[in-house]
Amino acid sequence: MQDSAAERPHFSLCWARRPYYASWFHMDVTTGVLYLNRTLEPADFSSQYPTSWPVKRLSVQAVVSNSFIKGSQCAAKRKALITLDFVNATMPVCAETDLKELCFPHTYNPHIVENRFPGAFRQFRRLTRLAVCPNLTVSYSVESDSPAPFAVSENSTELVVTAPLDREESELYRLVMVCTVRTETLITRLETPLDVFVDDEDDNAPYLNGTETADVVISFNRTKGGTFGSLRVFDRDLTTIFPKDKSHNRYVETLLSSDPWIKETFDIKSSFSERKTSPAGIRESVHEYYLVLKRNLHVSENRSVYIDYFVNDTTYPGLEGAVVLHFNVTILPVQINFANTTQEFTVSRRASVYAQVGRICVENCLEFGGFRVTYWLEVLDKNASASSLSCHAAISITQAPDGMWGLLYVNDSEPLHRPECQDLRYAVVAQEEFKELETSTQIQVLLDGEAEQEIQDNQQLLSCAEKRQRRDCEAFRGLGATTGRCLWRPGAGKGISDHYSTCSPDLRTCPDGFCDAVESKDVSICPQDCTTKPVTGGHERGLSGNGVRAGHGTCYCYTDKCFCEKEDVEDVICDDMCKTIVATAL
Amino acid sequence: EGIYVQSRGCLLKEVHLNVTDLGLGYQTKEELIFRYCSGPCAEAETNYDKILNNLTHNKKLDKDTPSRTCCRPIAFDDDLSFLDDSVVYHTLKKHSARKCGCV
Repeated sequence: MQDSAAERPHFSLCWARRPYYASWFHMDVTTGVLYLNRTLEPADFSSQYPTSWPVKRLSVQAVVSNSFIKGSQCAAKRKALITLDFVNATMPVCAETDLKELCFPHTYNPHIVENRFPGAFRQFRRLTRLAVCPNLTVSYSVESDSPAPFAVSENSTELVVTAPLDREESELYRLVMVCTVRTETLITRLETPLDVFVDDEDDNAPYLNGTETADVVISFNRTKGGTFGSLRVFDRDLTTIFPKDKSHNRYVETLLSSDPWIKETFDIKSSFSERKTSPAGIRESVHEYYLVLKRNLHVSENRSVYIDYFVNDTTYPGLEGAVVLHFNVTILPVQINFANTTQEFTVSRRASVYAQVGRICVENCLEFGGFRVTYWLEVLDKNASASSLSCHAAISITQAPDGMWGLLYVNDSEPLHRPECQDLRYAVVAQEEFKELETSTQIQVLLDGEAEQEIQDNQQLLSCAEKRQRRDCEAFRGLGATTGRCLWRPGAGKGISDHYSTCSPDLRTCPDGFCDAVESKDVSICPQDCTTKPVTGGHERGLSGNGVRAGHGTCYCYTDKCFCEKEDVEDVICDDMCKTIVATAL
Repeated sequence: EGIYVQSRGCLLKEVHLNVTDLGLGYQTKEELIFRYCSGPCAEAETNYDKILNNLTHNKKLDKDTPSRTCCRPIAFDDDLSFLDDSVVYHTLKKHSARKCGCV
């Protein structure tokens, strides 16, 4: 096809390495018609590379240029590949020729670049077949459901595009080629579909859909890599991702700021996607721009900046191929405070070591990012007696390395049993990592229940998770048990269930699919959440690869080796009512 | 590497099963060849086993019944992976015997 009326095509065959059949063919320099140079003989078929196959495939390359091409020049040109199936037979006579074969060549769907000079792009006549059927008159026409700028030229039987195409108007024309074959007595009409694809070029400037300014407030989350704001730039052209070096619809973006602080703090990242316009369903590009923090912002950072971002569609040939985006950024300093001045927690005097007492968190702590807050406990009364201090050893605080919560837990259960330990008062101090921010609150831990001197806690406590039956579980004093006794979770669901039967020290935290800061102090506290060893029996691992997310029947563990299995007789089958009946019967 | 004796009686046998037959709770239509160890270990017994047998028989060990030589896998088959009905992959390890011995 021509890009302008001035172009004059010159066709020729191009041989990288001349095959034995190179001299058999000849291409007309002005029409591009491929001719046989000589009559093919049976000996030609078996002349080279003798094989028993009935068809040999010959390939020929053709090039086109505005001027005559010498043989050596064609190597660098884009080539059209022509494949010829060389059949070891003579041409079938006209009566044996299938009309479909006569009418339509084997063909691929053509592509035409938008905004180009109209012209012919496909020859429909099958020259080899027509030669054996001189008495048939074959003519072509083109049809389509909606108006389409295509026609068949009267004399040449070529398919012609009659006007420049616009991809933004229609990406695909679904044509039906109609072939009419006339003999003296019969008219036969055959149809074949032909899809013409319109290829895109950059003929639209980027545009904004109302919003060119994003207001961004950075406060609690100030993590390096955090993204803020979002501005979208639309372009009716497509953005190709393959091949990678293709420069079509290429955007070049520039941060318009000379402020070194902005340059070392912010980056702008982009992502692009494609959407279909409604109702026409034409694809277009959407570029999305985000502000990204290049470093963690200090907690005391307090300023407002205005960032301009220049987006230039470099391949758009028109004048206004650029837009400017604005990010209006406000950075607020962080304060840390406790919501309540005093908080109360209750812990059972029977609680085992590692029993969880409660959670501590400064205001908005879950939204914090880019800095750490650490918690510790201090005894309120600085001049406390040794005995009071030993009472206070009962409770401790811990924190996961990636978490903003402080978890209060029983560090030593012995003081809980002593009558002189009543309520324990602590100051919880929260401090930001650079020690610039610090706050504290008072907490009171009430000891619930009767003091019992006789509970012997010195023996090594074992894991609740060892118990496989409800009765054994609920009678057992295990590590981390908040009431001093383990708790039974009855299973629900068939097969491998998230809600498997198991024995736990604290059903609020174990098993919850998450090995928290207290549980990770000793794998025996909640191996269901924390085990890293292979699990025997039907199960699914937790998302992190640790723990048992789902199990079959009852899951139990020795230290951190877990087993999941269905008991033959579930003890839930015989409830209290049933036991009474059985007892009465006996 | 444990100490074991290969016995003519203790043999590797195999059975073709559905994964659901294993009773592990997986819901799937996949199948497998399950290999297991079976057979007597009498010829692998030592004086230790004979003494234990006599003591148990004469009720000299109260209620204790120590384990005798038995036919067990001494190596396991390769892992078995399968897709369940919810299109989740599972991998079974040490689920089928490769080699048997009296241990």
